[in-house]
Amino acid sequence: MAVAPPAEKSLRLATLLSRIALGDQAAFGEFYEKTSSHLYGVALRILRDPSAAEEILQEAYVNVWHHAGSYEAAKSQPLTWLTTIVRNRCLDQLRRRELDTVTLSNDDDDDAPAYDPPSDAPSPATMLMAGAEARSVRDCVDTLDAGPKQAIALAFYHGLSHSELALQLREPLGTVKSWVRRGLEKLKTCLDRAGYARSE
Amino acid sequence: MNLSRPDRPQRLDLLAAQYALGTLPARARMRLARMAQTDTVVAGAIRSWEQRLSPLAEGGPPITPSPRLWKVIALRLGLEPVRAAAPAPWWNRVALWRGLALAGFVAAFALGITLLAPTPQGPEQAIVAVLAGQDAKPALIASIGRADRILTVKAVDAAVVPPDKVLQLWMLPNGQPPRSLGVLPRGAVARITLPNVPEIAFANVPALAVSLEAAGGSTTGAPQGPVLYSGKLERMY
Repeated sequence: MAVAPPAEKSLRLATLLSRIALGDQAAFGEFYEKTSSHLYGVALRILRDPSAAEEILQEAYVNVWHHAGSYEAAKSQPLTWLTTIVRNRCLDQLRRRELDTVTLSNDDDDDAPAYDPPSDAPSPATMLMAGAEARSVRDCVDTLDAGPKQAIALAFYHGLSHSELALQLREPLGTVKSWVRRGLEKLKTCLDRAGYARSE
Repeated sequence: MNLSRPDRPQRLDLLAAQYALGTLPARARMRLARMAQTDTVVAGAIRSWEQRLSPLAEGGPPITPSPRLWKVIALRLGLEPVRAAAPAPWWNRVALWRGLALAGFVAAFALGITLLAPTPQGPEQAIVAVLAGQDAKPALIASIGRADRILTVKAVDAAVVPPDKVLQLWMLPNGQPPRSLGVLPRGAVARITLPNVPEIAFANVPALAVSLEAAGGSTTGAPQGPVLYSGKLERMY
């Protein structure tokens, strides 16, 4: 998936960002070319709606153009930074959408349709392993049991909530919740030991 | 979600983890985001989790968005509507004068401040632009005292202007089309009166440029002929 080595790509994106901060349109175009399909994939998987996903990306890039110079966090890992922003915007929208349409139904509402990922897409668990490019991350993902791994992958890539996870995985809500919690705890212990440091 | 209880760190960590993963229900998600705006501990917990999980994001396959997305973004930001279809107007080719900026700055010192037109405040209170062509060789030097209204443009090594042509001086404001400062009178030293003191006239103007125009200057308010020289405005104070 990643064509250029991640560090090299980050460096290039950081350079582009600093040129964008000076109003360089060519740099902005290149930055868009290098990042948009990754970000669009992230957004579309969560929102499942092309025009909603495009809108989120539109806002994200307008912000990049206006504030490229002011994000310290962006300098080391531009794509990570932007992905986090886009994911959060998508999740905000998705959860708000649920708030509007669902009258806080009880959690085992069988009428709600389970989420169907497109059949040609790689399975979330596969993505989880693919994403874990750095060896330590892959090793940590590997320590998860099948259930938690599946739950975390569906939540991370497709924005599934606890109750959607329960439907999708055909497990009681309580089981799914504890899978997520245990899975996250295990990942944290493992990743922190492997040197995925805390913030900053 | 009372985070003031003694087991707060554990509870906060779990909430932050679920926030970053995305599984928190709408209301809890909004509440935590609101708390993070004022509470650095909450913000830090979320950030740690976002960082921890971020390598996973690389796993999702990329999906190319519709070309319409770029068009909408470009339109909103007032950029060139179609990239690479037509060359950007010369004043948008920032590389043109940004690339020259350093050369110009160095040249200003290499030539010595002695070349500058004398100003009441002396050179240390001057604003200078060394205007150079593609070859980065200084052609004209524009300078003005900080409190002056008269911009002096000295020909150092400018091209010979045919009798039916003139040189026109332009300001290149940030994010806007060029604005004319007028046609340069022939001669080794030209004087152009600014609409205001440089502090105001050049407030949003990082650079100047000179274009070759038909006698009388551009009739459209924008440069019509080729841009021969450009250079960054350097404030020497």
